[in-house]
Amino acid sequence: MGASFALAGISGCNRQPAKEIVPFTNPPEAGLGREGLYYASAYSREGYARGILVEAHSGRPTKIEGNPNHPESLGATDAETQASVLSLYDPDRSQTPMHGPSTATWIDFENDWAPRRTALAQAHGAGFAVLTEPTTSPTLLREIDALLQRWPEARWYQHTALARYDDDGTQTDYDFENADIIVSFDADFLIAHPAALRYSRKFVQRRRRENNNAGPNRLYVAEPTLTLTGAIADARLALAPTEIADLIEQLDRAFGLGTDDAAPASAGRSAPHGSQRDAFIQALARDLKAHAPRVALVSSNTLHSESRTVLHDLHHRLGALGVAVKESPAVRSDSDARARGDLHALVDAIEAGEVSTLFILETNPVYASNRGRFAEALIRVKHAVHLGTRRDETAHRCHWHLPASHYLESWGDLRAFEGTASIVQPLVEPLYQTRNAAQILRLVTGLPAKSDYDMVRETWSRNAASSFDEDWRDWLDQGVVPNAVASRIIPQRRVASATTTAPRASTLAASETKTMFALFRLDPNIGAGEGSNNPWLQELPKPFTHLVWDNAALLSTATAQHLSLENGDVAEFVAADASLHAPIWIVAGQSDNCVILPLGYGRTAAGSVGNNHGFDAFAFAPPDGAQQLALREIRKTGKKHPLVSTHGHSEMEGRDLARVISVDTKATEPAGETEMSLYPDVHYTSYAWGMSIDLTSCTGCNACVIACQAENNIPTVGKEQVSREREMHWIRIDRYISETPNGTRVVHQPVPCMHCEHAPCELVCPVAATVHSSEGLNEMVYNRCVGTRYCSNNCPYKVRRFNFLDFREPAGSTVYLQKNPNVSIRDRGVMEKCTYCVQRINAGRIRAERENRTVRDGEILTACQQVCPTEAIVFGDLSDPQSKVSRRKREPGDYALLAELNTRPRTTYLPKQINPPSALPV
Amino acid sequence: MSSSDTEIARDTPDPNALLGPGETWTSVTENISRLPLDRPHPRFWWLGFAAAFALLMLLMLAISWLFIKGVGIWGINIPIAWGFAIVNFVWWIGIGHAGTFISAILFLLHQKWRTSINRFTEAMTLFAVACAGLFPLLHMGRPQYFYWLLPYPDTMGLWPQFRSPLVWDVFAVSTYATVSLVFWYVGLLPDLATLRDRATSVGWQRVYGIMSFGWRGDARHWRHYEKVYLVLAGLATPLVLSVHSIVGMDFAIAQVPGWHSTIFPPYFVAGAIYSGFAMVLTLVIPLRSVYSLKHYITDRHLELMAKVLMTTGWMVAYGYFSEFFTAWYSGDEFERFLSLNRVIGPYAGEFWALVCCNILTPQILWVRRCRRSPLVLFCVALIVNVGMWLERFVIVITSLHRDFLPSSWGMYHPTIWDWSTYLGTFGLFLALLFLFIRFLPAIAMAEMRNMVPRKKGDSP
Repeated sequence: MGASFALAGISGCNRQPAKEIVPFTNPPEAGLGREGLYYASAYSREGYARGILVEAHSGRPTKIEGNPNHPESLGATDAETQASVLSLYDPDRSQTPMHGPSTATWIDFENDWAPRRTALAQAHGAGFAVLTEPTTSPTLLREIDALLQRWPEARWYQHTALARYDDDGTQTDYDFENADIIVSFDADFLIAHPAALRYSRKFVQRRRRENNNAGPNRLYVAEPTLTLTGAIADARLALAPTEIADLIEQLDRAFGLGTDDAAPASAGRSAPHGSQRDAFIQALARDLKAHAPRVALVSSNTLHSESRTVLHDLHHRLGALGVAVKESPAVRSDSDARARGDLHALVDAIEAGEVSTLFILETNPVYASNRGRFAEALIRVKHAVHLGTRRDETAHRCHWHLPASHYLESWGDLRAFEGTASIVQPLVEPLYQTRNAAQILRLVTGLPAKSDYDMVRETWSRNAASSFDEDWRDWLDQGVVPNAVASRIIPQRRVASATTTAPRASTLAASETKTMFALFRLDPNIGAGEGSNNPWLQELPKPFTHLVWDNAALLSTATAQHLSLENGDVAEFVAADASLHAPIWIVAGQSDNCVILPLGYGRTAAGSVGNNHGFDAFAFAPPDGAQQLALREIRKTGKKHPLVSTHGHSEMEGRDLARVISVDTKATEPAGETEMSLYPDVHYTSYAWGMSIDLTSCTGCNACVIACQAENNIPTVGKEQVSREREMHWIRIDRYISETPNGTRVVHQPVPCMHCEHAPCELVCPVAATVHSSEGLNEMVYNRCVGTRYCSNNCPYKVRRFNFLDFREPAGSTVYLQKNPNVSIRDRGVMEKCTYCVQRINAGRIRAERENRTVRDGEILTACQQVCPTEAIVFGDLSDPQSKVSRRKREPGDYALLAELNTRPRTTYLPKQINPPSALPV
Repeated sequence: MSSSDTEIARDTPDPNALLGPGETWTSVTENISRLPLDRPHPRFWWLGFAAAFALLMLLMLAISWLFIKGVGIWGINIPIAWGFAIVNFVWWIGIGHAGTFISAILFLLHQKWRTSINRFTEAMTLFAVACAGLFPLLHMGRPQYFYWLLPYPDTMGLWPQFRSPLVWDVFAVSTYATVSLVFWYVGLLPDLATLRDRATSVGWQRVYGIMSFGWRGDARHWRHYEKVYLVLAGLATPLVLSVHSIVGMDFAIAQVPGWHSTIFPPYFVAGAIYSGFAMVLTLVIPLRSVYSLKHYITDRHLELMAKVLMTTGWMVAYGYFSEFFTAWYSGDEFERFLSLNRVIGPYAGEFWALVCCNILTPQILWVRRCRRSPLVLFCVALIVNVGMWLERFVIVITSLHRDFLPSSWGMYHPTIWDWSTYLGTFGLFLALLFLFIRFLPAIAMAEMRNMVPRKKGDSP
């Protein structure tokens, strides 16, 4: 332990926090010896902690990895977490307080606030309100509590763009290890869930061939539009929300009063897929009966509350509670009884004249709330103060805007979905004059100012053991607080649902099936606009559509045909009291009765990156906060909007590219034959690096794409350049979509460089800028490249990327602080591609040589492998028959992409294994 | 063919004559040397040169912008990493084939009719190769390092990667350009001496005098000259075949469906000669009418060139057929898909246009009247030029735009800078041609004098 407290990382011109920070004792192997250090911290995903390790070079955070100690990370992260490091260096961040349109100082603000505070204090806080996002942070909750204690008349409201997880004071958690049959009702639990990383890991572990002794699970999904969870389903139905309610009702009857089988009672209601639907529900009912209690019915807040009650009930009846399903008190503060409700309650209060002073802390309700009264109500607030990392739409409408600290530069604490607490440990002193929400809350009531560090320590030193100092270092080192400690320290809150965030679920009558509905969903990449100004997230191809830098109204093929709309056509969506112009995109596997309107775009004050992309669906969303809206009409306008997709073609054209097999299929043995070649074989005397990618495990979550971008200093090129097909990602997720009797089938196939033994690119380079290494890597020598681009033409996998223009950020930009010092930044006119993270390989080899040993298996992780929540990617030494990658490659079914070209790729694939219900054809 | 049996009747013009009636040694020399010395039709020249110069300036602008911004100003992308630059390179170098073919191969084959056009076509070859040579340089992402493709002893012990056909290209094209230049210049020597002797101003006498290397028309000079000329013709002959074979290999060596084909080298050579002759016709027909050279470049010449055009056109057609046949016969799904994609895919329009231009249009030349009609020939030649450009476009673009993985398919959209660079090279080409016509004899005088029959019944 002691060694880890050393003044590590203090070199160069860094600005490390004044308080001691504690590096991770057992850093991920990949990181050692690269002059980088790891610090455990936690990222807040919708208020829930995700344990992370942050890599720092010369004191600047450069890369985020998952914390293997953290139960909601298990060493993995997702795209959003990966991209959060870039936001730290965002040049558009707020740097000083703003008074109206003019810059000010914190002193100005404090002077301005002091008389107001005195007045409020005399009224015990009457007329004062604070709006936050729902949080799990014990320190923040403690400060809110302190404020409410001091000013009993003050009010606390909470706002989140889409209420999702725990609006009745309980939360449902699933243990997919113990679930044989999993049914998702419009719940994208592998991606859009605070526990998604853990769920993905556990869910996929049961499906992999290497783990088949447990028997693969089976996933049924009924959802209105294709989600990544739906894409991995063994049987899937595209249903409108009302049809999902029917389905649940039917299921309820099937397990109701001793009825033996699920009678297709409502046959004819959705005639087009009536038979498919009946087969689905019969197979589902049979499976649930056969496998109870090892079943999990996953619901989401988009469901009707009655439906959720039914599912809850079914869990009871099937005995699943305590086996695969666990219900517990909510971790996040949505249902905290101290809060006065959500944004609607706040607007009501403002309109009733009960709020004269409003603090909006790190939330952006002017933009990220349904069309409605908030922006207007805000004008009636006499004094509004906004704290945020950027001067967003809300900041522009407040009297004061205060700059907030990024989580990598201020102390805090958070709890994960399953309850584990973590300390948010900063790596740098605030880059600008910023403070965090807890500090502002103290400033509000005039409590003596404390540093963020002291506040967090104070929270955790209450009721603490005598060994607190040592424990504290331990927690910082490990990134988690042991549960025993946390339960002692975090006070159990009263749970009452009376004053909670109102459930905003469907309130539709079942008869409205014929109506077309607009469903509002968070954007898969930028959420409700939190990621708007992050170019990595903007340029990340969205699942299925592969759109970048834009959102589009998603329509089913039949609907689009009916309206004679094509991709990019701007349509007018007309509801009873509003209309919206939006470009459309046609997607497979969507219910014909729904239009999906992704939120998070159409920003006007997100920053230079995020402004003026896409349309603002919030401005169309119903004012009552519902997530869906009945449409009267969809009109073609005749206008076009240039939508840009990186992956236009979704069929495999009958080619053998991404293989799919059923679990019962006997997988073919790996082909042993190697074809003849004119060139002599290379004989490897040392390591032979290789990779195996398991298509069964890949959920298409895109985390690897961003991890690769962060690790390898990959530039973003902007919408115009992507429209010219010049995106730079070194790894891409190909997806192929087909229709089967079990619903729309999607295969995701991550494609990095294959590192071919007989690399076609090496042969044609006139200057030997791409060469084969003694360890079998296909290396790219940037300095030697003259840019003939012949290598890219000759690459059958098209994984090479070219710097057509100078794609580097302008000199002096703060984003350079994020760059990995171990990877060159590429010049204009130079080819680049996946290197298998050669900098990590070299660091590992050097470390091993220094210790006079060989590299251990698993010691070197590529960035894509390390981030993968489902361990789909395995990298290692092929010359070691016991290495994990060698074992994977010996599994039956292992195949090389385009093996007939005799390129002999080092990267091979395992086929996607599906487990369709036997009642249905494969 | 042989003209030995051709009766030259002074009074009735012979339709098959390779030299107009009434020509003598003196008239040949006078009429041809008039062009560089007296410079007739200045208005035509100045207007033409101004237009060419304007285009040349467009090229300079396009290149400047290219060097400022990078190759991203063009429409290339991933997967279509080669675009107009390579299409134009192959097209120009193809055009550059006719000259050496005419002057070397036809010389060795004793085709006397080549005499009146060889000088001009050789010049055309040089200028076309100059245009072609620009493109691989501009095409590079980092053109400042072009010399890394040359085998020079550098301090790091690095050599070009000799398995790459791009390196072969460097050798093939530079050798071809050098030999063509030397061949052309050696052929010019006696004529330069003639110009020196006939020039009226001292300045031009000096210039031509220096350029003619002291040629005095000595018998020994002539003996050496003829030997050298023969040797150079022998040297140039294989180069005509090798250059475009190697350009073909740029594609054939790659494993891209639509490129990876053993027929490419001969098919490219045939295409090159085809396009070269088309360009010769395109240029010679207006030239001979503006400068009244119909006595030297006769309808008979045009007809013979038309026949070459037809022959090579059929070779090219066979190449197309063979590509499709091989794709089908190989059973390779990628090749088959490619063939289908060429015919009915997004670039089907370009493909069918090229079939019309390159296969259908020249069939009109079966008719003798059309072969001898300068206007018809001019139009056919123009269309073939367009068709051959389209052929290279189809080969480069349609093969790349949909290869193995459908996930990476794309489309190519040329930008204004692609077009500017292409049109700009016309400026370079035409400007050089105009300068050539103005200052050097466009027809080989010394050789033409040999065509004049000494007396009735003599072999010309």
